[in-house]
Amino acid sequence: METLDCLGKRCPLPIIEVAKKIADQDPGFKVLLLSDDPASAPDLVAWARMTGNSVEVIDQKTFEITKSAN
Amino acid sequence: MALPHIFEASWPDPTKLGVDSKSAAVLLNESKETFAGHLKVRSDEINFLGEPNLGFYLGIAGLLSTDSRLVYSNIDRMEIFAIADSLGPNSSPLQLKASKTGQIDFAGLAPKNLATLQLCNRETGTIQSQRELNCESVFVDATASGIRIPLPQNWSTALWESTSWAGPSGLGILAVSKKANWKNPLPHLDSRINPGPTSLPLIVASALAIDSWAADEKNLSAKIAAINLDIRNYITNNIPDSDLAPHGADHLISASFLYVNAEQLVTTLADKGFAVDSGSACSATNMQPSHVLAALGVLTQGNIRLTIHHATTFDEVKTFLEVLKATVEELRK
Repeated sequence: METLDCLGKRCPLPIIEVAKKIADQDPGFKVLLLSDDPASAPDLVAWARMTGNSVEVIDQKTFEITKSAN
Repeated sequence: MALPHIFEASWPDPTKLGVDSKSAAVLLNESKETFAGHLKVRSDEINFLGEPNLGFYLGIAGLLSTDSRLVYSNIDRMEIFAIADSLGPNSSPLQLKASKTGQIDFAGLAPKNLATLQLCNRETGTIQSQRELNCESVFVDATASGIRIPLPQNWSTALWESTSWAGPSGLGILAVSKKANWKNPLPHLDSRINPGPTSLPLIVASALAIDSWAADEKNLSAKIAAINLDIRNYITNNIPDSDLAPHGADHLISASFLYVNAEQLVTTLADKGFAVDSGSACSATNMQPSHVLAALGVLTQGNIRLTIHHATTFDEVKTFLEVLKATVEELRK
């Protein structure tokens, strides 16, 4: 799995980078995001709800993102 | 009465004996009666605070006893979080979690508990539907609701902020119920509740403001509700990837926009003449996202908080929404 290192980047940059990363990928594509921004944990969950993608919170700084079918 | 006249009439200390002080005392008492009428409390339960946020501590710590437990919620004001943190290790305060619509389930309250009840959340406008709580002491946070929502029957202490009825800032009102078992938590030598003195001109100005706000609200609440609906519909239908906090009080709206930097959004809107607040981390002094938005699962990035005032017009709102849409699009590029 690819890792997207956004450590040190502030909101909204980590989520913008995730969206760019998965934009041209096939459904089911997974990426591991590293982010220490305090807004990342709540906002990735909200982003997943809004966009239909899924996010698994591994710990407060590590998130596994899976692109959805739509 | 215009502000300069208020200052002229209310400079003396109302507690002194001179003629000027006597007329200042009359002004103070008249103001208390005005507030008592609107807030639906007794005038001798009213205490003025020059530092409104001090009322969270006075109102809560004054009700705590050695065998009571503080029960508060994760969408309460940070001032209450700080009080919970400051209590000794044996007090074990309990933090209740709001549902995704912002409602708190108080079903598990024990009779000896001291509960905090936020009538309306100042960020999202969330109104608590369960307001009659089954416990000994209830601190009511009415800072955002003002006089829109009545006090519950068994309130013990209650806090208002003058700005909620378009009165001057820097004035809070703490009511302590005559039925409450309240002890002054601050060092004190007499029976006064607030350390004082509080600015009499601000009190008089705020009493005039609450009278005029209440009269306006009767005529304008329907307009505010219609504007709220217009804003929500416009954002939902015209700005993609937006997230609105659930509808609560009509005068407050919290909206978030994916992939947008809130600091840029707020400053760009300010440059175009619109003053909005934000709950995003990048616009907060502590660089933390709003704990209220996070608790409700609402997006915290690109967040703006809107307050609809009595004077807000449909035309202004129409222009604002067009500017908002263009600004969000511009910032997303």
